[in-house]
Amino acid sequence: MPFLLRRFFTLLSSIFAIVTFNFFLFHIIPGDPIRLIARTQRLNAEAIAKMRASFGLDGSILSQYFRYLSKLVHGDLGYSFSFKENVSGLVGRALGNTLLLLTASTLIVVILGIAIGVFAGSRQGKKSDTATVISSLILWSMPTFWVGMLLVFTFGVWVGGLPISGISTANAVYSNGFEYFMDISRHLILPTVTLAIVDIAFFIIITRTALIDVMSEDYMLTARGKGLGRRAIVWRHGFRNAMLPVLTASALYISALVGGAIQVEVVFSWPGMGLLMYNSVLARDYPVLEASFLLTTVAVLVANFAADLLYRVLDPRVAVSK
Amino acid sequence: MSLLEIRDLHISYPNPKGEFFAVDGVDLTIEKGEFVGLAGESGCGKTTLALSIPRLLPRGSHIGAGSIHFNGVDTTALSEEGMRALRWKEISVVFQGALNALNPVHTIGSQIAEPIRIHDESVSKKQAHDRTLELLEAVGIPARRFEDFPHQFSGGMRQRVMIAMALSCMPKLVIADEPITALDVMTQAQILDLLRSLCDRYSLSMLLISHDLSVLAQTCDRVAVMYAGKMAEQGPTSRVFGNHGAKHPYTQRLLSAYPNIKHERKFIDGIPGYPPDLSQEQVGCRFADRCDVALSRCATEVPELIDIGGGQSVACHLASDIRAGVQ
Amino acid sequence: MMKRDRTSANHGFWYFMGKLWADRMGRWGLIALAITTFIAVICPIFFPFDPSKVGADAASILTGPSKTHLLGSDELGRDVLRQFFTGARISLFVGIMATVISTIVGSGLGIFAGYYMGRLDGILMRITDFFLVVPALPLMIALGAIFGQNITVIIMVIGFLSWPRTARIVRSQTLSLRQRQFVPRAKSLGSSNLRIIRTHIVPHVMPLIVANTILVVAGCILSEATLSFIGLGDPDRISWGTMLHFSFVSGAIGRGAWWYFLPPGFGILFIVLGFTLVGHSFEKITNPRLGGSE
Ligand SMILES: Nc1ncnc2c1ncn2[C@@H]1O[C@H](COP(=O)(O)OP(=O)(O)OP(=O)(O)O)[C@@H](O)[C@H]1O
Ligand SMILES: [Mg+2]
Repeated sequence: MPFLLRRFFTLLSSIFAIVTFNFFLFHIIPGDPIRLIARTQRLNAEAIAKMRASFGLDGSILSQYFRYLSKLVHGDLGYSFSFKENVSGLVGRALGNTLLLLTASTLIVVILGIAIGVFAGSRQGKKSDTATVISSLILWSMPTFWVGMLLVFTFGVWVGGLPISGISTANAVYSNGFEYFMDISRHLILPTVTLAIVDIAFFIIITRTALIDVMSEDYMLTARGKGLGRRAIVWRHGFRNAMLPVLTASALYISALVGGAIQVEVVFSWPGMGLLMYNSVLARDYPVLEASFLLTTVAVLVANFAADLLYRVLDPRVAVSK
Repeated sequence: MSLLEIRDLHISYPNPKGEFFAVDGVDLTIEKGEFVGLAGESGCGKTTLALSIPRLLPRGSHIGAGSIHFNGVDTTALSEEGMRALRWKEISVVFQGALNALNPVHTIGSQIAEPIRIHDESVSKKQAHDRTLELLEAVGIPARRFEDFPHQFSGGMRQRVMIAMALSCMPKLVIADEPITALDVMTQAQILDLLRSLCDRYSLSMLLISHDLSVLAQTCDRVAVMYAGKMAEQGPTSRVFGNHGAKHPYTQRLLSAYPNIKHERKFIDGIPGYPPDLSQEQVGCRFADRCDVALSRCATEVPELIDIGGGQSVACHLASDIRAGVQ
Repeated sequence: MMKRDRTSANHGFWYFMGKLWADRMGRWGLIALAITTFIAVICPIFFPFDPSKVGADAASILTGPSKTHLLGSDELGRDVLRQFFTGARISLFVGIMATVISTIVGSGLGIFAGYYMGRLDGILMRITDFFLVVPALPLMIALGAIFGQNITVIIMVIGFLSWPRTARIVRSQTLSLRQRQFVPRAKSLGSSNLRIIRTHIVPHVMPLIVANTILVVAGCILSEATLSFIGLGDPDRISWGTMLHFSFVSGAIGRGAWWYFLPPGFGILFIVLGFTLVGHSFEKITNPRLGGSE
């Protein structure tokens, strides 16, 4: 499959580019990061020497770069001074938690977003459509973290009833796995809802526009002419075609989703990549910040790659093989 | 009882100033098994008239006065559900610009088979599949291409797929809106023959729209010529297109504007001027401005479509004068 | 000599204002923008905020709305309403300045890539696509953390990371203009490339750039709020995002101090929605094909 190969090669070269970019961003641009850190923390000479080594700051840029690459390949992401732990272990745990949050909210966003978008788009110009568009624009205009703050206020202070912080109850003792599962699920509700609320607006608007475009295509008139019911027309003929531009916009969505997740994790202290990033910014813990930035970006590149493949599956015009 | 009887039909589209009538008091009759051609310049309302029959007009358009009787049923009064049952089962359409009329993400086989089971739930999947293969064969597309997607076909083949699709429920009336415009001459002839033979074989009626008169002359039993939303002339092909058969000056000019079918091609001798702007109030005969032989009353009086015998009718003051003179 | 497209921005400012006002969405957007602009420009003059004017004792901290503090006080006993006014100014300022950078970079790159086509286009679009897929917020956080907390850094970071979409849109429009008749003709008449860009390309892509710019402002204001909330805001220039940051870290939510975290949030929502509505409406006006959502 030449396409798959080609696309895979593009993915690899993008990852390579981001790794290089990352190297310059954290190792070259700031000048001596030790100086930066020393500005905010009191460090003794021993700590500075240790850091210098951990940053790989000896030797020429090129040799630094290759040492950096080889460390990366071996999964060595450095040592965190604020967490007193290897960065790879830190980000590994965080990544899992973030993926849990992203999966949960993406499910909601995709299913509800498509349903509402199709609902509005197939009723273009009617009151229900206008109401959907306006509410979506309002939701879209709210900062994600603020929506989270409102929910924390509502469910943590005002009404109560749902956990507003962390991934599980502190010091809880579980009698079985199911209890543990339920505890995590309860903690997952508010972060997921927050993330979904804002991103769903984006999805609704894109789906609606795409469906409206598709509805004016000639083949939709054919479908009507065949005597199909309204539902069959919209779903069997309109929907799949409308999904193509939605998938094309998925790069934007993925980026927005990641941005949203960071904010949500901060507000709800959800122990994922976003919270890690936040804490590392506060502590100016560069190795952690660097690793979480790199990992997030690579994950996004991979997600875009997957979206491209899905597009191929959905659109027979670009599919190479059956 | 005729299969289709359209009486005094008015269809309007909205425009910034309110609305305008793209079809303005048109009569048209199609008998069972008959082939009727519909001709006229671009924008004269052919598609609008045709799509009003299965009620597929775009949103915003409005059927005003007039009636459409299909098989004795007034379709303008039918509920949307009732109309749905008629679509494709009784009236199918080969849409203008079939290139985009096929859904790009479904196989052509499934698109042809789709209406069969919608309109007759007793048909099994297998039967629908077999019927589709039969239809594909009838239009000359190999059965193995059932699973192919529209983009894998050439323009002419897609046109044939559309025709197979239009026949999938064996409707009583097929509306073919410029089914061959985008094709080369050889393919045009092929597709016309195909349409004609298939409809003959299954004894269907057809409304064939084309602005190419030679096409209509080859295929149709009767022809109707529209001008600016009104019927100018209609009658048996042999009479209207025969020597000195056309009575309306517009038809005459059209006939001379097109390369003659019998004689060698000649340079296209267009009609000077443009059709009137329908969004303006119309007085008198709409063709009067471009007519060589217009009378003074043509500018003020709208000519009625009148029967001049032999199944032919004309909407022209001159023709009615001739007839009045004869009587 | 040359025929102008009817889509070009030959219409004046008031023409578009009239059109926007005639559209329901556009009208609400304009009203929202007018109100926020008033708050941002005028109010701080009469009710300046002095960050050093902290409360006298613990009793003045996070107090609810009262006669002295119409919108209560913050965790240092300072007036929230005055902070809100100043915050409007900073949020709007950062959003607009970042947009200026983003628009200049984005439309510049877009026009050059689309006009010169070929190799230059290939390289520029490769770079654009790269920045399009790299998630913006993590990158902004990284840059913000590296370069430090001050308002110039924030403006630069947001501005230099918000251009890729503009570049893409402007490039495709330029490309299609480039392939039309008048460019080769103007060239054969001896016009220089820069002149052609100025007289034939720029006027035609302008409506598109303007529509896009209005939407970019909305995005930039949101980005600023988010960065400030994360703690990368300029502590000396309090924006709505910074207010939300301090209300969050000072535990205003837990204490139920709604007067502290509701106003800045609604402020952001209000102004972003204003720009979004005007942007969509403007798009509809300049590109009628998109219309019909009303
Ligand atoms: N959706 C629409 N909205 C408004 N006006 C329309 C619409 N569709 C067609 N019209 C107008 O109605 C008139 C008749 O159009 P119609 O498509 O029926 O012409 P036609 O005879 O089929 O032309 P052609 O030979 O080009 O296909 C034209 O003036 C056209 O501009
Ligand atoms: Mg037509």
